[in-house]
Amino acid sequence: MNSRNPSETTCILDIAGEVDVYTSPQLKHDLVQMAERGVKQVIVNLSQVEYLDSTGLGVLIGGLKRMREAGGNLTLVGPGMRIQRIFEITGLNKIFEIYATEEESLAKEGGAE
Amino acid sequence: MTDSPTETVSHSESVQLIIPCRPEYVGVARLAILGIASRMPFSYDEVEDVRLAVGEACTHAVERAGSAAATIRIVSTINSHALKIEVSDDIPAGSIAVPSEESRLLEETGVDQQGLGALLMEILVDDVTVETTATGTHVVLTKYAPD
Repeated sequence: MNSRNPSETTCILDIAGEVDVYTSPQLKHDLVQMAERGVKQVIVNLSQVEYLDSTGLGVLIGGLKRMREAGGNLTLVGPGMRIQRIFEITGLNKIFEIYATEEESLAKEGGAE
Repeated sequence: MTDSPTETVSHSESVQLIIPCRPEYVGVARLAILGIASRMPFSYDEVEDVRLAVGEACTHAVERAGSAAATIRIVSTINSHALKIEVSDDIPAGSIAVPSEESRLLEETGVDQQGLGALLMEILVDDVTVETTATGTHVVLTKYAPD
């Protein structure tokens, strides 16, 4: 997991590989820390994610809720076809803003201050 | 292709795997299932669906176990018309781990994570049965071979 900060309150989080019951606590930890240090816009880049299960979805939903409560948002970027399908079959594509690229997400969410 | 049930059920093979009921072993089960499901005439997406469904069944056990010592037994039976995967744990009924902060946040959003896992299993395979007894939970996932 790697993160970049295009601005004070915006953070891009790159995650890779498998997000499951074993690895999602790390993702949760990172998202909680971001919320605590005042990040309002989190862009989670999913382009390198090969596997995502209900625990990963749960952590992303938890992150989304934290960010929205703080007046921000958590958006998702670049999911592969398998990952996109998981959001579609669970209906979570209606809850999350999912963008093709980071640039698109930054432009739409007004993250670059 | 002929569709004769007597012919299709005549020969079946099974693979058994027993793993500790802990987060780091769920990936091991998924890896094994990937190999087993690949023996069926499934598409790439169908193999991935089975892998995710089994991952969800194991995850459900791991989350219920919490820090208690338990094992998960996975029995995969293959024949020419279906792949049946039985995921059994030895976690006594009623021993539900304390809900995490995450599950509380999810609940407030109107999403139940265990519900998400169950939903995924329902969608990803053709048949799901879940039976909970005093000695553990037994999940049976079945995916039929394409006609």
